[in-house]
Amino acid sequence: MKNRVRELRAKRHWSQQELASALDVSRQTINSIENGRYLPSLPLAFAIAHCFNSTVEDVFTTDEEEK
Amino acid sequence: MKSTMGRKGHRGAASAVLLVGGGAIAAAIWINGDHGVAVAVAVSYVILAALATIWSRGSGDLSAVLRAGGDERQRGLDRDSTAMMGIAMVLVAIIGGVVKTALDGDPGEYGIMCLVGGLAYGVSFAAFRRR
Repeated sequence: MKNRVRELRAKRHWSQQELASALDVSRQTINSIENGRYLPSLPLAFAIAHCFNSTVEDVFTTDEEEK
Repeated sequence: MKSTMGRKGHRGAASAVLLVGGGAIAAAIWINGDHGVAVAVAVSYVILAALATIWSRGSGDLSAVLRAGGDERQRGLDRDSTAMMGIAMVLVAIIGGVVKTALDGDPGEYGIMCLVGGLAYGVSFAAFRRR
């Protein structure tokens, strides 16, 4: 599973802490998601996508989709 | 649809556990007659509880666990660590029970630990499988 959270966050010039506050999660959790160490739950994935005015499938992609 | 629940938790959660647990241990030592040790144990737990309160104010993963709060990842960390602790304790109980049975012909307190652990697992499994 891959994601574009870091890329989308950087585009908006948001810090990890700002995104974490918007989602009501810890900064460490945002860092873990960006580095692919943690797969968020479906509700959190939707909340992340909503934050970026995007869709879940636009933010998160499977390894197969990458190919 | 909510991704987090009770993220803030309670700052005094870990401290309360330490104070109640430490108080009980100190009381038991006091009843046993070793008053000096009982006071020393009580003071140690009060210091630990104070440190836990201070630590729980932080923003890190351990602080969140000390608050019995945190987001979904932090709660998952706590759950997984608790599961690993359970496995370690069950292993000790089983090995201890086998060794004690070989020595005394009776698993003793290890047998009770195995029974409680097995029952707790069964009840938890029955409750959680309804999800």
